[in-house]
Amino acid sequence: MTVTASQWLDRIRALPLESHVKIMNVCGGHERSITMAGLRSALPGNIELIPGPGCPVCICPEEDVYEAIQLALNENIILVAFGDMLRVPVNVRKSDTRTLAEAKARGADIRPIASPVEAVKIAKEHPEIPVVFFAAGFETTTAPVAAMLVEGVPANLFLLLSGRLTWPAVAMLLESGEAGFNALIAPGHVATVMGPEEWQFVVDAHNMPAAVAGFEPESLLAAMYSVLRQLTDGRYFLDNCYPALVREGGNRSARRQLEEAFVVEDANWRGVGSIANSGYIIADKYKAHDARRKYPNYASEARKRAGEMPPGCDCAGVVLGKIYPNECRLYGKACVPRNPIGPCMVSDEGACRIWWANGLRETAKPKI
Amino acid sequence: MCLGIPMQICEINGFVASCEAKGVFRDVSLFMMQDENLKVDDFVVVHVGYAIQKITSQEAQTAWELYDQMIAAD
Ligand code: SF4
Repeated sequence: MTVTASQWLDRIRALPLESHVKIMNVCGGHERSITMAGLRSALPGNIELIPGPGCPVCICPEEDVYEAIQLALNENIILVAFGDMLRVPVNVRKSDTRTLAEAKARGADIRPIASPVEAVKIAKEHPEIPVVFFAAGFETTTAPVAAMLVEGVPANLFLLLSGRLTWPAVAMLLESGEAGFNALIAPGHVATVMGPEEWQFVVDAHNMPAAVAGFEPESLLAAMYSVLRQLTDGRYFLDNCYPALVREGGNRSARRQLEEAFVVEDANWRGVGSIANSGYIIADKYKAHDARRKYPNYASEARKRAGEMPPGCDCAGVVLGKIYPNECRLYGKACVPRNPIGPCMVSDEGACRIWWANGLRETAKPKI
Repeated sequence: MCLGIPMQICEINGFVASCEAKGVFRDVSLFMMQDENLKVDDFVVVHVGYAIQKITSQEAQTAWELYDQMIAAD
């Protein structure tokens, strides 16, 4: 028997929840579904839903975007990147080139792609020109990039990799002692690839309920019910509320390919700083395709300033779930999707953009 | 960027499958699906051009209903 969204809501309302509960999600797709379906206003007032570090575009280090822009402007290459990355601004003067889109307008050969397969195709069509694939993303996106390398790519394809793992950001928040949430909804498609086990630490090391959710309101509400019920029962475990896709061990061939192509290292997150074991770098076996080795002069240590969001932009607070998008002073004023100041207003996965696109116009903290 | 879309396999050629969703056809890489035994007519969830997992037709249907709403909201 399938349980409908309104039945889940009834079950949630019937729970003997005494205190205020904050549930964090770490996936832009979850935040979109929650906001679109209006789940915040449908839930009882003592349940808060917090968007956390769920936007790979938002946390892609500023220095990596800068590196991509400079490479595209100064080398005779074709630069390809997922479309969202083209509008992410770096912190330079207005008269300088602030985005890949601006670099493209200034004559650089920059092409948005929707799949690693397109990067391979473009490289094959232009064997005489180096093609640099600027690849930012979480595990769900980085795994296909690994698959692309393992399957074999043309000699003129180079990877500027900014892949990140999601769970270390949650671990960092929990270890900080100021996590600001009592339960976690784990990302469905990340768990599809990596396996749900990655999230077991939330329960084991931090004594906090966790549930993996899909993207339908029913699956999200089932996960919310699960973590709330765990809280009221006082028995915590990792629940899989997305069994349609999320299986024990995840997608094993994808994980093997990730392991073969990349190595996990500490990595910088924009606005956040370095997070232990949170980034992918290219394994030695594939070093011939590493754009950073081919063009070493564009990575600038000097640009690695942790906490670097555009001036006035509170994306760092939004990404870490410390503030809601509309608590930023610029939300809906200087910063709107047509003229984004920070990356959270650029990407479809950014909480600011999701809230704005779904008509959340008031700038005060919403009553939730 | 982490959202996969369900598609149905129409033809398999090595690691490339021609897949269909709502009348739109796309070439999808099956390179990440080497542990699955996939056949024509099966449903897979596709993310950035790669199949990431196999699903049932029922699950594909439910997911599509959600994406229809998302697309309508954009
Ligand atoms: S509203 Fe704009 S400036 Fe404010 S946090 Fe969001 S992206 Fe940054």
